[in-house]
Amino acid sequence: MLQNERNLSMVTLKHQTEYVCRCLFERVGDASFVGHLDLMHTFDRAIRRAGLPILYSQGYNPRPMMVFALPLGVGIDTLGDYVDISMSREVDVNELMEKVNPFLPKGVKLYGGINIDEPKNSLMSVVTIAKYRFTAPEIKSKMRNLVTRDELRVTKKSKGKLVETDIRPLFICEVPDNETSEDVFECFVYAGSSKNLRPDVFLNALCEYEGYDREIAANCLVTRLGLYGGEYPELKDIKGLL
Amino acid sequence: MNIVNISRSDLMSVESPGRYVGGEYGAVIKENIIQELETTGKCSAVRAAFCFPDVYEIGMSNLAMQILYKCLNDQDYCYCERVFSPWIDMDKVMREKGYELYSMETKSPIKDFDIVAFTLGYEMCYTNVLQMLDLGNIPFRASDRKETDPIVICGGPCAYNIEPMADFFDAVLLGEGEECIVEVASVVKAYKDAGKKSKHDLLIELAKIPGVYIPAFYEAQYEGNKYVGLKKLEESAPDTILKRIITDLDNVSYPTNPIVPNIRIIHDRAYLELFRGCIRGCRFCQAGFICRPVREKSPETLCRQGIEIERNSGYDELGILSLSSSDYTGLKELTDGLLAAFEGHHSSLSLPSLRIDNFALDLMEKVSQTRKSGLTFAPEAGTQRLRDVINKGICEEDIMKSLRLAFAGGWSTVKLYFMLGLPTETMEDVEGIANLAHKIENLYYEVAREVGFKPRKPEITVSTSMYIPKPFTPFQWEKQCTKEEFLEKQGHLRDLLRKSRNIKYIWHDVESSLWEVILARGDRRLCSVILDGYKKGCFYDAWDDKFKFDVWMETLNEHGLTWEMFAREFDVDEALPWGHIDVGVTTKFLKKEREKAYEETITPPCRTKCSACGAQCFKVGECYASK
Repeated sequence: MLQNERNLSMVTLKHQTEYVCRCLFERVGDASFVGHLDLMHTFDRAIRRAGLPILYSQGYNPRPMMVFALPLGVGIDTLGDYVDISMSREVDVNELMEKVNPFLPKGVKLYGGINIDEPKNSLMSVVTIAKYRFTAPEIKSKMRNLVTRDELRVTKKSKGKLVETDIRPLFICEVPDNETSEDVFECFVYAGSSKNLRPDVFLNALCEYEGYDREIAANCLVTRLGLYGGEYPELKDIKGLL
Repeated sequence: MNIVNISRSDLMSVESPGRYVGGEYGAVIKENIIQELETTGKCSAVRAAFCFPDVYEIGMSNLAMQILYKCLNDQDYCYCERVFSPWIDMDKVMREKGYELYSMETKSPIKDFDIVAFTLGYEMCYTNVLQMLDLGNIPFRASDRKETDPIVICGGPCAYNIEPMADFFDAVLLGEGEECIVEVASVVKAYKDAGKKSKHDLLIELAKIPGVYIPAFYEAQYEGNKYVGLKKLEESAPDTILKRIITDLDNVSYPTNPIVPNIRIIHDRAYLELFRGCIRGCRFCQAGFICRPVREKSPETLCRQGIEIERNSGYDELGILSLSSSDYTGLKELTDGLLAAFEGHHSSLSLPSLRIDNFALDLMEKVSQTRKSGLTFAPEAGTQRLRDVINKGICEEDIMKSLRLAFAGGWSTVKLYFMLGLPTETMEDVEGIANLAHKIENLYYEVAREVGFKPRKPEITVSTSMYIPKPFTPFQWEKQCTKEEFLEKQGHLRDLLRKSRNIKYIWHDVESSLWEVILARGDRRLCSVILDGYKKGCFYDAWDDKFKFDVWMETLNEHGLTWEMFAREFDVDEALPWGHIDVGVTTKFLKKEREKAYEETITPPCRTKCSACGAQCFKVGECYASK
């Protein structure tokens, strides 16, 4: 094929219909040390092993069509994240889950979800709130003290420059009526593309303001328990937000 | 059961923590053995730690590891796990916090294993072997290890001259390891069953296995500064050790369910091995001689395995592997079959080491779903004279003809690989490299005019490495260029190539090549040098920015040795440190090839005419079958 023919074939690619499976997934233990992009490859390969037809983007560098609700930092466990996986034919989401799970590495698992036609709003844009659990010695009382403050100014890197921001408004509240131990703190925080509180930034503030031991904080197990849309306390299930 | 538990904070403090956690799809978990270990603290099975002396991303790209991992784990009485060299940041954490080196599968300290096996693919990884033993709390020298320590073995291309590392290994496996390593494991199993009474008796048993070399059974002899041969210390040990080969590649175990890493690795694809050996006989190429004779897998076997691998692994790319893929007789049948099977799967084939012709271009067009990647040529030398000297069966006309096709087909990126410092090389040969690059540049514009397309900016990359004479090649006796000679050649070429903006020149580090020749052709006196260098902080020598040439030269001199001793021209009749190793190819043949090199005469490929290299002794392979 000559160069020009080839270029022509690239622009005449037709739009393919997407059949989206919106799945809940967990990533725990050693698998949590795998980066966000690598997790995408992990899902892609497992779906291929299961022989299901994942859809690929067109163009020079085809990528599996997969959208995550919220990037997941390295080292953070999740029990309730969402991913939209596009298939090239209709695949029942329960079939996807049953067939793919045996092919996923240890610590990664898909839960049921729903089948949707092409979503009008991207999955990332509907996420507003995340629920986290922090597990570390004596963390509950320290966290409670921390969030009584009116202001939590932290410096963070943004576009290469250090900027100071107040993260207190990003914290919503502790999970109500929670009978967890002194070593567990569960809370709701803002999450998503407009307002987002990263758990590591939050932990850093805990060390800075409450003198919590940095080594202990570094060993704190952070688990994302769930993602939601809507405004607190009117949480909306991500599955319903198309 | 001892387990190394790296804390969350320590994992988070290092680069790419995914390297250190395991849990990959395809990793073997033998529940029954783990349970036995958990309840009794020991197990009856042989535990093997397969160590790759470099980072995870490189080790996991290594096919030998995947093959031998499967061979060992296919045995019920054996559990093989993987171990990699921790990167410098993790190395520091492990030393500071007292973590021992551990296996990926069960996180067991490597000193709890019965066998610790290293695969040695390149000499520059030697210090990482020492790093791994060090972090594993295993004594460096075989003579310091007792019955309670693991048996430390190695294999791979570097095993053919293991003398510079001989003190550190209990046993060395020569040649293709699929059968040999299992035989070793079964002997170790018997030793373990009998209560590990005498390591010496175990070594005697191991020495009986064809292809196994026990360094401790021999003592190196020197006269003055010269190595003069080995003296046998153990009566039953063989005088020479013949490498092992697999006679029937269609029926040898192959990992069609490979371990698929969770993180990106260097070569992130599945692999299919077409054949072993090479019909070409390029005189500088060690692989071309140590891998003889040529043995192919049938296209049917390969097609079946390729389809299985693609399905089992989930990889979207299958790499075709061999020393020269165009020489595979079933290439068309195989690629047609695989492409048909992958239709609609979004899977591609990657085809390195193809000779560029119409068929190859057509194939590359078919397999690539992405943009046209660069074309790679390895003329190795700049003039026809020197290409005849090294028996590189490629002429300028071939290259130009291939490139004419490629340029007309839309390619515009070309990579050219050369070596500087080949035997008999003159400045004229160096200039030939620049001339060839300029001719290729002109050809691109010429083809653009003829075919009538608007020329882009062609990208021509010239890359030179420094020639290192290697054991078991016709040039094994040759001297290496000095640092000054290398730099002069490199500088001259750089000046010549500076004229064109379409040509980029990249070169390999001179100093690491000067050290590599010592490791490649050295004898046992190097063992103490390598250990001292390691103790002075040298490791990850294969990484140019970590390599400390000055430290190595200083350490070498402290031991009364010089670069010259190992880089000089060896006398054809002097004892070579690898003289007791037999790869099939005879010294007589290598000598004859060296003479033919000086006469600038080429030797035809094995398939065209047998040149009686000696590899017929294995009684298999294409050359043997055709007789």
